[in-house]
Amino acid sequence: MIYIKRIFVFIMFILGLAGLLVGSSYIFLPKSNGLNSGMEEFKANGILGEKENSIDVLFLGDSEIYCSVIPLQIWQSSGYTSYVCGTSGQTLDYTEVMLKRTFEKQSPKIVVMETNAIYRKFTVKNVIFTKVSDYFSVFRYHNRWKTMSIDEINKPAEYTFTDESKGYRLKTGIKPAVKDNSYMSPTDKILPIEKINRQSVERIKKLCDENGAKLIFFSTPSTKNWNYMRHNGIEALAKELKCEYIDLNLLTKEVPVDWKNDTVDKGDHMNYFGAKKVTSYLSEYLENTGLLADKRNDSDYKTWNEAAEEFNKNCPNKI
Amino acid sequence: MFSIATYFSVEALLLLLVTVALYVCLPQKARRYVLLISSYVFFFSISGKLLVFLLFSTLSVHHIGLWLSDVQNECSIRTKGLEREERKALNAEYNKKQRKIMAFACILHIGLLLLLKYTPFFSQNINALFGLLGLQLRIPVPKFLIPIGISFYTLQAVAYLFDVYRKKIPADRNLLRLALFMSFFPQIMEGPICRYSDTAEALYEAPKMHYGNFVLGSQRMLFGLMKKLVIADRLNLLIQNVYGEPNKYDGFVIALGAVGYTFQLYADFSGTMDLVIGTAQMFGIKLPENFKRPFFSATISEFWKRWHITLGTWFKDYIFFPVSMSKPMKKLTTKARKKLGNRYGPLIAGSVSLFCVWFCNGLWHGAGWNYIFFGMYHFVLILSGNIIEPVVIKITQKLKINRSAFPYRCVQIVRTFILVCFGEMFFRQESLKQGFKMFGKIFTDFTFKTLKDGLLFEFGMDRQDYLIIIVSAVLLFIIGILQEKGIEIRASIAKRNIAVQFAVYYALILFIVVFGAYGAGYVPLDPIYAGF
Repeated sequence: MIYIKRIFVFIMFILGLAGLLVGSSYIFLPKSNGLNSGMEEFKANGILGEKENSIDVLFLGDSEIYCSVIPLQIWQSSGYTSYVCGTSGQTLDYTEVMLKRTFEKQSPKIVVMETNAIYRKFTVKNVIFTKVSDYFSVFRYHNRWKTMSIDEINKPAEYTFTDESKGYRLKTGIKPAVKDNSYMSPTDKILPIEKINRQSVERIKKLCDENGAKLIFFSTPSTKNWNYMRHNGIEALAKELKCEYIDLNLLTKEVPVDWKNDTVDKGDHMNYFGAKKVTSYLSEYLENTGLLADKRNDSDYKTWNEAAEEFNKNCPNKI
Repeated sequence: MFSIATYFSVEALLLLLVTVALYVCLPQKARRYVLLISSYVFFFSISGKLLVFLLFSTLSVHHIGLWLSDVQNECSIRTKGLEREERKALNAEYNKKQRKIMAFACILHIGLLLLLKYTPFFSQNINALFGLLGLQLRIPVPKFLIPIGISFYTLQAVAYLFDVYRKKIPADRNLLRLALFMSFFPQIMEGPICRYSDTAEALYEAPKMHYGNFVLGSQRMLFGLMKKLVIADRLNLLIQNVYGEPNKYDGFVIALGAVGYTFQLYADFSGTMDLVIGTAQMFGIKLPENFKRPFFSATISEFWKRWHITLGTWFKDYIFFPVSMSKPMKKLTTKARKKLGNRYGPLIAGSVSLFCVWFCNGLWHGAGWNYIFFGMYHFVLILSGNIIEPVVIKITQKLKINRSAFPYRCVQIVRTFILVCFGEMFFRQESLKQGFKMFGKIFTDFTFKTLKDGLLFEFGMDRQDYLIIIVSAVLLFIIGILQEKGIEIRASIAKRNIAVQFAVYYALILFIVVFGAYGAGYVPLDPIYAGF
């Protein structure tokens, strides 16, 4: 009898704890998704404020992607709506989170995944933390106790903020790369992908399939982060998962990166000038897929034209 | 791969949950194996192949213990029925043999520790000396991978052998029991440093898990988690900044960094101890306490009886007493008594022993001059305290000051705390030169400018961070006062009705979840003592 009582007490304790966490999660959840709302990675999460089912192409990855792809350039040259859900040091568990969040409100036909994140190490701890935070957002937003007001507690969540550059982060500085194209010396060696990373990519692929999106692997030019061994690793993975793979580090004729002028930090990330070249190639690539329709003349997408005009004003050289 | 970084990791929690589940489900005889396997999994997940060092130490301790025991048995058999003189001669012969075995054991275990932990430090200093002497000679500076917890389990091993040698305990013929004593997973990384007589039997018995122990152990673990996540990790940004670039800051910020680091170290180490002792308590194992509210200490001596207690008692039992009771020291005491009298005479030999203890204590913490200085700093403080104590007593008597009165004790506590903070400042600062610079700045460049210009909030710590640290410190202070008064808080909570218990646990959990320094923007603090 005593054991049954103790088990009952234990279950009650766990249920009470779960209730407490659910309640506190409701309190701590940001009630909007703008700059000072407390929303994590608010630029990437600006996709939550985009009109339902309005995004054609989703870009995922770490800082490599948000420095390389300019969605408003794609809009202006091809008429496709795209959004960069890139975050600094993104690990694949968070890539999954961003993808799931996007699919809740959007139906992109193409998902482009920058491959640097595929090699970024993460642990079981990251996965568990991300999963637990998905259910109990108090773990993710607990720090909001510093800035929250009493009025926010009861307010319903309304995500209306959209990022004016659609997730792209404008970098205009120039710091020439130390290496030139020699960083891609051919080799047969393959840099293995960690098991936990591979499983995550497989889940991402499955999620894309289930939502009718085509997954494309994409390596943006980076002398610091990319090499032939990594290329071989991703190529093998792409073959296995039956995905297309674009490695711009090898397409030096199609995307002639000038490593003296096109990088913001010695070859690590593209600056605006490099990003323009990368985006130009991607824009053409997307056109060739034949999966997307030009929406520039669609009145429902008038805001995109306005956003592009505003974006052009802030750029050193207009697109 | 499954790898554990600290006790405060999800992986460690998973291992604990699996261990608890197996421990509860399996019969008594299998439980000890569960503990042993979990311990080796824990060690392997941190140190990998370096597990071989732990295995080596365990096997050699087992073997040497039996060797000593055999010699002792042989001696007692051979001395039976002998005349006193013959018995004495034979005992002396066997004692000599035992001493040789002990010397071998010390060379093996302490030698391995010295080799792995201190060779690079010694080599660097020898090379520096060659440089100073103008010699071109250089010896290579090796780099070794050090198994986690080696400083802790080596002391346990040596203590076991000395206890066998002194016939305090019989040598253990059961390798499993000894292996469990050496490797018990909650304590292998940061202690407490256990004696064989404290834990070996209980671990081997692997008692049934009791609901009461489970509740009390869980409470303590939660409290430890609060100290670590809310205080130690939150202070990390401030400490990293102040100690990283001390030249940038004025005396006030340096003093804040010194107090902050002392508090951080306490929160980190005592928090880990709460987790360790709480975990063991869940299994029904009582580990020795390592902390007893050290900031309530009136003197430095008292502080070290309340801070890292098991290390202090280890040094007392295996260094201070053996050195004090050695023949040369006895002779020195006799001579000193004649010249300096009964009050100060014994202090000479005592000082030599004290010096050995504090030199070893400093060096045990790490291979660096800052650690040696840290040891010497406390040696000087304790020694000068011993020397001037009679003078202070006389002065206070003349001035009619009640030394046991509350205000006097408060002054002593504050003084001790300040002295401890200075010591910890040198302990944390890797460069001794920088340590002295920081120390000097507190007295030469002390202004409250940083408070006015807002620089204080530029270390990644804002007003709310400081506020929550102050609130937590007040909370710990109140709990400390209650504990000093002998109130057993955890037991009294466990006695309350279930609604009150739940409310307390939920409040503590929510406090940790909301105010813990984890997630984006925070860099968790690596367990400080695990690095020693």
